[in-house]
Amino acid sequence: MCGMPTPEPQQPPCPSARDRFFRGVRLGLPVFLGYVPVGAAFGILATTQGLTALQTVVNSMTAFAGAGQFIGLSLMNAGASILTVLAATTVVNLRYVLFGATLSTHLERTPLPGQAVLGFLLTDETFAVNIDDSRRGLATGLSMAGVGVISWLGWVSGTALGATASSFIGDPYRFGVAFAMPAMFTALLVAQAENRRDVIVGIVAAVLAILFALILPGKWYVIAAAVIAAAVGAVVYE
Amino acid sequence: MSAGYVWVIIIGMAVSNYALRFVPIAMLSRLKLPRPIERWLSFIPVSVMAALLVGEVLRPDGRWLPLLENPYLFAAIPTAIVYHVWRNFLGTTVVGIVLFLVFRSVLG
Repeated sequence: MCGMPTPEPQQPPCPSARDRFFRGVRLGLPVFLGYVPVGAAFGILATTQGLTALQTVVNSMTAFAGAGQFIGLSLMNAGASILTVLAATTVVNLRYVLFGATLSTHLERTPLPGQAVLGFLLTDETFAVNIDDSRRGLATGLSMAGVGVISWLGWVSGTALGATASSFIGDPYRFGVAFAMPAMFTALLVAQAENRRDVIVGIVAAVLAILFALILPGKWYVIAAAVIAAAVGAVVYE
Repeated sequence: MSAGYVWVIIIGMAVSNYALRFVPIAMLSRLKLPRPIERWLSFIPVSVMAALLVGEVLRPDGRWLPLLENPYLFAAIPTAIVYHVWRNFLGTTVVGIVLFLVFRSVLG
């Protein structure tokens, strides 16, 4: 264990705080790659719909929520009341309660200020990367912060790019980066499915996700499919 | 859109979003959860990833694509194999993007 006295010669060396943070930054690079174009798309859309570049970038810096921001934007554009916009984005982001609950079981030894930072940096993608790393026993609070910070930089810099230079960029999806997120989720799913239980629960979740995506609006299919598939797993593999 | 309206929404969105992300972590990490709840939570990651992947691949940008004309689906299958063999996230993501560009140009 790091921090415990070790007999000479000291091996393996305890990674420094810097090393742990930058290991997280490297882990988060695929997320960065995926966030820049989606952030740019948000920046272009928001400024063409009447937000200033400053408002657009501050929105991305403080909310750091892909789907929630797009929905907020379309409702603002439709002239919805402040309460309606906030209620809708809150509902879209309810899935973070589930992610936070899951992540909390891996953060028992992280002090409150660290949890406050990691909470701010929690998204679908950082959750997926960090929970996978946790399960291998490699994640630390600092590596999770590294994943979050590089992802946040991707989202904010993409937004700034889209908000200020939309005429130069054109369609940000033409570079094939639209597949960055699906590619990363594919790899993460393969990484998660290490035993038969996980494979079966994953298949149940995938089937349920298709069914729920047909009938539920927005991202609700993710919550509905995950809650039920995990419950099936918990009951069957008691 | 008045500036005041937009700023109130931006601040409100930041506050509600942060509360949703931070409060469960802060509260639940201090409780000892019952075993069945912990077991349920242990299956959440694989379920979430499977659900997110299905959405991203079959319905990119909220639009269902016909299976045989879907470059996301065609690219996802070899991408899974690449990761299974190589075990490298960033490398797999880059290979996946290249595969996607190939399938997208082939499928038109």
